[in-house]
Order: sequence, then structure tokens, then C-alpha cells
Amino acid sequence: MTTIDADVIRHLSETSVSVEIETEDMTLNIGPQHPSTHGVLRLVARVDGERCFDVQPVIGYMHRGYEKLSEVRSYPQITTIVNRIDWVSGYANEVPFIVAAEKLMELEVPERAQYIRLILTEMARIASHLVFNASYPLELGAATPLFFALRERERVLDLLESVTGGRFHPNFNRIGGVKPAYASGSNTRKLTQDLPAGFLAETHTAMDKVLEATEQLEDLVAGNEIILARTRGIGVLPPEVAAAYGVSGPNMRSSGVPFDLRKNQDYLPYDRFDFDVITGENGDCWDRWHVRLLEIRESVKIIQQAIDGIPSGDLQAKVPKVIKVPAGETYVRAENPKGEMGYFLVSDGKSGPYRLKIRSASFSNISVLPWILEGALVPDIIAIMGSLDFVLGDVDR
Amino acid sequence: MSSSPSETATHPLQEFADHVADAVGGTAEIQFDTIKVRVPNDRWIEAHAKARDTLDLVFFSWLSAIDWSNEVEAGDPLEEEVEERVELMTALSDLTEGRLVVFSTDLPSENPTIPTLVTTFAGANWHEREAYEMFGIEFEGHPNLIHLYLPDSFQGNPLRKSFPLLSREVKPWPGKVDVEAMPEKPSPDEPSTENPEA
Amino acid sequence: MSTDEKDRDTRRKLRPTGVCLLGDPGLARHAEAEAPAIWYAGLSGGNRAKSGAVIMPTWVVDLFSNFWVSLGGKLLLVALLIPLVGMVIGFAEMKLSAKMQYRVGPYFAGGRWGWAQLIADGVKFFQKEDIVPTDADRPVFKSAPILVLVGTVALFVVIPFGPNLIFRDLDVGIFYALAISSLSTIGVLMAGWSSANKYSLIGGLRAAGQLIAYELPLVLAAVGPVILAGTMSLQGIVQAQVDAGIPYILFQVVAFVIFMIAALAELTRIPFDMPIAESELVMGYLTEYSGFRFLFFFLAEFANMFTMSAIAVTLFLGGWWLPGIPEDTLEFAGPIILIGKVFLLVFAMIWFRWTFPRFREDQLQGLAWKWLVPLALINIAATATLKVIF
Repeated sequence: MTTIDADVIRHLSETSVSVEIETEDMTLNIGPQHPSTHGVLRLVARVDGERCFDVQPVIGYMHRGYEKLSEVRSYPQITTIVNRIDWVSGYANEVPFIVAAEKLMELEVPERAQYIRLILTEMARIASHLVFNASYPLELGAATPLFFALRERERVLDLLESVTGGRFHPNFNRIGGVKPAYASGSNTRKLTQDLPAGFLAETHTAMDKVLEATEQLEDLVAGNEIILARTRGIGVLPPEVAAAYGVSGPNMRSSGVPFDLRKNQDYLPYDRFDFDVITGENGDCWDRWHVRLLEIRESVKIIQQAIDGIPSGDLQAKVPKVIKVPAGETYVRAENPKGEMGYFLVSDGKSGPYRLKIRSASFSNISVLPWILEGALVPDIIAIMGSLDFVLGDVDR
Repeated sequence: MSSSPSETATHPLQEFADHVADAVGGTAEIQFDTIKVRVPNDRWIEAHAKARDTLDLVFFSWLSAIDWSNEVEAGDPLEEEVEERVELMTALSDLTEGRLVVFSTDLPSENPTIPTLVTTFAGANWHEREAYEMFGIEFEGHPNLIHLYLPDSFQGNPLRKSFPLLSREVKPWPGKVDVEAMPEKPSPDEPSTENPEA
Repeated sequence: MSTDEKDRDTRRKLRPTGVCLLGDPGLARHAEAEAPAIWYAGLSGGNRAKSGAVIMPTWVVDLFSNFWVSLGGKLLLVALLIPLVGMVIGFAEMKLSAKMQYRVGPYFAGGRWGWAQLIADGVKFFQKEDIVPTDADRPVFKSAPILVLVGTVALFVVIPFGPNLIFRDLDVGIFYALAISSLSTIGVLMAGWSSANKYSLIGGLRAAGQLIAYELPLVLAAVGPVILAGTMSLQGIVQAQVDAGIPYILFQVVAFVIFMIAALAELTRIPFDMPIAESELVMGYLTEYSGFRFLFFFLAEFANMFTMSAIAVTLFLGGWWLPGIPEDTLEFAGPIILIGKVFLLVFAMIWFRWTFPRFREDQLQGLAWKWLVPLALINIAATATLKVIF
């Protein structure tokens, strides 16, 4: 019989044994088909329980090769396809491209055309922000704000359709201005240099309805404790990180940086109008939502001022039938609803560009995802990703 | 040096452009309101670090390249012959007045390589991956230089001028036959057309 | 006359005519001693003898005296009642949510009202292909919906629809109800685990955590009315409210609120639908279910809304009783009153679902453990103290 040393037993009983339960982390594939990824975005997330520690976005499912395509297209043809980059705010994509081409041609665009471009761009901004402000609570689970906001968005889209012919893809810009309309009775084929009758008045009244919708959204969402608990302090983006990654637009402004390209660029006559640059405080998801809601109100202000002060004149400058843009390079940047959109146009004097580099806002906006999603919980992945407001067409071009 | 033909007076941004060029050691030119500063290859990273730290150009807008080549597979060739090279460009901006500077450097057409900007600007990560797969530029020191948009098995660099537009291989561009006359009009050359088609 | 004599007397009077399927089990014991399986309506074993008997022909009485026939009849009733309740509440949800969102809701199925929409949906689900994922654990996968539905159906047994309309008035009514409703927790976990899908697994685990966490506030909140009534039998609790003349909600506001919140969490409805979380996990533990298996879950959710609300009504709002209505009418009006009150609570649940977003899992757990459980405990202590004092 073996004698058991009492000391050994005492030692063993006193030793605290800590057992670490080895759990494997799981690789969770979010997307590409998923209710919340705004398109075909794939996130390969390594999660440990509910916390993820490595998120790699995989993009390219919607790559359509815009830059290569534009090397074989002429300028009017490129206008047709360019509004499909960020399809939620269709009109806003065309403007910087056309302005770049006009810059190389040193063309003077009539004032009326510039005002119309501005009005339509701001309407596109309202449409884009309404979609975001409505669908973001849906990702958190509240289904009702969606319907309130989309109802007003329908009004805006109907107005866009009445003047451009397209709700999402207007194709309304022409080199030198906007597209002149026909006189009533299209079999005359006679051009009037004007918008359809009543468009401006209807837009003015529609803006009041849009303001109502923003108030409804604010009531429903801003006072809701659960939404605040889900979004405050989540996904904080410091301004230095945002600048290093190239995050622009409302995402940058909600981190507290009062930088708005509408104030310091001259692609459209924004300097004639009085509007504020909305900034947030913390750079969390709540700020990103709220900033965009307030920006809708600023856009309404701009539109109403523009309609009140619109000058008369031609809608398009005189341009030759076959457009040849002289050689040169230029970069035009614009404040798109999603962020900074820019076109670097290299022209060789032919009817199409030699190289068109499209700087799209959402591409840079989601390049920050690996940084911002580090250590986030799985429900927060959806909340943070949604708050960056990206569209896959904008990401993949 | 301003190359915009209608400028006789100095461009409002000329002073800033010269200041930037002096700070980073390159040459500046302004074309159509866009400042472009050319830097030599070996000063690429330094120039960006200087721009970020001293010139307040903290916002990394984009990085891309132009393939200057005289033979093109898709589209029209250049009017005048140029030196064949790949021009790598980045755009940095400040966050106060919105002044943007395009930095550019020239790389050889065959096997272009350059150190990576990821350590200076974290956002260069994805842009360099895109330039790698589209132009074949190797970025030394990049943590994850793999395809961004294209499938992993894709071979070739699509944005190179020597890469054909695949859809045109299948079906050639029909050309001007798209413009047809309306049935009741005698000739297509009426003054009132809405679409100046090329 | 003593109670027994009164009963025998009434039985003699009613024997040829008064037969009903539902009756007081206490009396049934008496009845079985004399003649098997004849149940009497309108006679309570307690302090009231009523004459609200349902008149039926003799041959029906004899038919249903057969045990198997009556069993079959009861099963048929259950099989019809559950889908009916589910469909009505589902339809109510569709129409109410539509009204809240400027929409119309179901419109085409069934005239201009759309009442046949859910019947159409039911038929659609039935004729779908039965897809079981290859890697799924087949027996567990197939039995999970059944377990969830059983947990719901079994609750119908103890709900008092009227003064004498209850399937079984168990002495441990509320205890049984809360215990059996947690059977669905196991079903949910089984569904999540056996689906061979990471999303389902996450959903199932979230569900398990949430359902277990919210069992406690549910049970503790229900203890308040039990203390006040002095009995766990649900019929007894309603009776106590009738006797006192006040529904218990006036004394137990806190407990009522806690019960409703915990009930919403047990139902995994928004704001507590993390386990399903449509925008994140596709459908959580329900992702791989299609066809009639999904229909089971679907019906179970709506039927469970009914039963949870019915239990809340019984405990707090007075069940089938409304002050001022004479007892005779309560025999018939009881179920209607109960269903009316249940629909009030169901309306509130639907309203919450379409207004609020969902809680995150850790916030959910924090709410349960840090707020609801302590509040419920304080409520029990206060109730007990006050009951002793007064």
C-alpha cells in the first residue's frame, strides 16, 4: 500500500487549477447575399462568440470596369453611364464629369443651366439621404420610419422623372449645360430652352412635404431610447483616421470636421446661397444618422433659395455637334451625398477621354471598415456598416 | 508654370503650388485649376510625409496611375508620341480650404515598382491594391498585395493600354451606324438635334 | 342542503338534457362515480350552481360519452383552434402594421378586406418543398418545430375562458403554464443547432440566452397576483379578482409591466428579437426552415402571443370578468370579454413591434438581470408585506 504524503495532498488541494476553455473562433461570412450589406459586399469576419476581431471586406462583385469603358466612349456616351456609379443619387454623379469636360473646353455654362444643375443635385442629395435615414433604423429593427421617408422620396423622384425622364438615371447633363426640352407636343421637334411648365413651383411645394417627413423621422427615431442605446458611442471614427483613409462627406463631418466641398469648390454656384455645414460631435453611428437628417433640411433651404433666384436664359451653351475636348488634365471634385466624388480627366483632343479616373466616395468610406470594426460585436457590425452609407456601385465602379 | 492658355496673370493657386513643390522637392504645374507636382521616384514617400506633416495635406483622396503608351488596343491612340511610362499619381487635400494637390511620379512601363505608402497614409492600402491589379505596379512592403476587384485567377492588367477591351473582341464597335435618320426627315443634318453624338 | 346533495339534485334535473364537453373536473369526478364521462355544464363544484346549461340532443350525449370519440373531438378542437388563433392574430398584425405605415395591407385575398390572406399563406406553406439541409441533424431538425408548438399548445389547457370554461383547472395552474412555456426554449436551441448553419447557430445561442434570462422576471412577476389571490390555480386567481371587485393591475402595476416585457422577450418579438434579427442573421434559428416546418414556428409565435396575453389578462386584468355584468351572461360573455382583453394586449405587442428597433444581446441581458429581476423581487416583498398587514 502506498503511503500518500499528507503534504502532497494538502498542496494539491490548495492549488487552484484554472482551466481555460478552449473555444475556437468562427469565421463568419456575411454576404454577399445578405439583407443588410447594401448590395453585394462580402465581409469575412473572424468572430469569437459575439465579438469579432478581424474583418476583411471582399469587394468587386459589381465591378463593371467604368474606367476602361470610358476609354472607348465619347463624352455624351459617358454621361449616360456615369450616373450608374452611385445609383441612389443618380444625378449627382454626372455633374463633376461634365464640369471637368467643360473645364478642358473652357466653356461658359449659362447661369440658368448651372442653377438647374444645382437644384437637381440637391434633390438627388435629398433622395439619397432619405433612403439612408429610413433604412438605417430598419437595420436596427425598426421598420416603420422606412415607409414615412420613402413616401416623400417618391415625391422627389416623381419630380426628377418629370423633368429628366428618369428617376435614378437622369442623363440630363449635356456638355455646355443641361438638356433642352421640347416644346409641348413633341412632334414639333422644336426646342424650347426651358424646363417643363410648373416644375419649379411643384418642387417648391414638395420641399415642405420633405421637411415634414424629416420631422416625422426625427420624432420617431431621435427620441427612441433603444435606438440611442444601439448607436451612441458605437463605431467612433476619429477625424485623423478618417482623413488618413479618405473618408469624406457626412461621415467625415460627423467626426467634427467642418469640411464641405460645396463651400470651397466652384463646380456649381453654391457660393450664392446661404446654408450651414452640419457637423457632429462624437463621430459615432448616431451622429452619422443625425448629420444626414439635418443635411436634408439644408438641401431644402438651398433648393428653395435657388428656385426663388433662378435667372432666365439658355439651358445649353452653343457647342459643336461632335464634341472634341482639347488636350489637358484636370481633376474636379464634388460633394456627392456619399462623400467626395471626383473625376480626373486626361484628354488627348479626341472625342473621348484618354484616361478617366473616377474617385468614388464609398470606396474610401468602406476601406476604413477593418479599422472601425475591430473588436465590435456582431450586431454592431451591421449598425456600423450601415451608418457609413455606401452603395456597392460606388465602391466597385 | 501655368499651361492654361487663357491665363496671362498668375493663377491664384500658383503661390501655393510653388510652396508645395519647394517643400517636397519637385516641380509644380497648374493645368485647368489642378495643381500637379512631379516628384522623382526616390522621394515619393518623403514627399507624402512632408506634405502630411508640414503642408497640412492630411486628406488622402486617391491613388491611381496613367499608362502612357503609343499603341492602344482599345480606344484611340495618342495624337503625338509620348514617352512610354506609367505615371503614378496620388491626390492629397487639406481639410480647411479644400486645396488639392496631385503628386505624380513616373515609373518604367516594364515591371514598375515603388515602395508603399501604407505606412504614411493608411488609406493607400486599397488604392494600391487596385493600382496593382489594374496596372501591374508592385508596391514594396504592402501588407496584402492581392487582387481587389478581379477574381484571384484573373491574369493581365486591365487598365493597361495593351489590354484589349474584351467585349470588343467579341463584338466590334459598330461605329457611327448608330445614328440613324428619323423616317420623315430627309437628312440627319438638321440643326435641331438634341444629342450631339460623336 | 349540503353541496353534494345540491349537486345530486341538479344532476337529476339536468340528466336527460344538459350535456357539454367542457365542465368542472371536480364535478366530473362525482359524475364518473355514477356514470362514466357525462359532464355537466353550468355546475361548478364551488359556491355557485347555475343553470346555464347547453341543451343538446341525447344522441350527441351518447356519442360523446365514448372516450375515444370525445378525445378525437378534443384533438380536433385543438387542431382547429391553434391555427385559427394564429391566423387571426397574424392577419391583425398585417393589417395593423399596414395602417401604422400608410399602407393598406392584405387587400386582394377575400374581397376588399384580405381576410383570406393567411389561409392562402397557410396553403402556400403546405405545398412547398420540404428542404432539409444535407448536413443537418435530421431527427433534431424535424422535431424542433414540434417541440416549440407543443410548448404553446399546452398553455391553452389552463386558460380560463369563462367561469366554467376551462380545459383543466389545475391547482398549480400558473406554475404549469410558466413551466411548460419554457419547453419552446429547448425547441429553439434544437432548431438553431441542428441547422448546420453558422447564422442559425448564433441565433439559437442568442435565443437560449435570452429566453432563459427572461424566464426569471416572468415567473417573479407572476408571483405577485398569486400572493394576492392565495392560489396558483388560474381560475382561482380570476375568482379572487371577481370577489375583490378590482383587477389586480391596480395593485400590481410594476409586476404587470415586468410581465409584459418578459413576455415580449419570451416571444422573441421586437424589441427582443435578436435571435431572429432579420437584418443581421437572415432569420436566425429559423433560416433553414421552409414549408410547413416554418409554418409551425410561425403559428407557434402567433398562438403564443395569444396565450401569453391571456395569462397576463388572467393574472392582472380580471380574465373573463367585467364589473357590472351579471353572472349568467358571464357564462356566454366570458370568452368574448377575455378575447377582447387579450386583443388589447396583442394590439400593444404589435404596436411595439413596429415602433421600436431591437436591443443588442448584452443590453437585453443587462435589462433582465439588472433591472427586471430586482424590481420583481422588490414587488414580491412589498406585496407579501402589504398582504400580511392588510
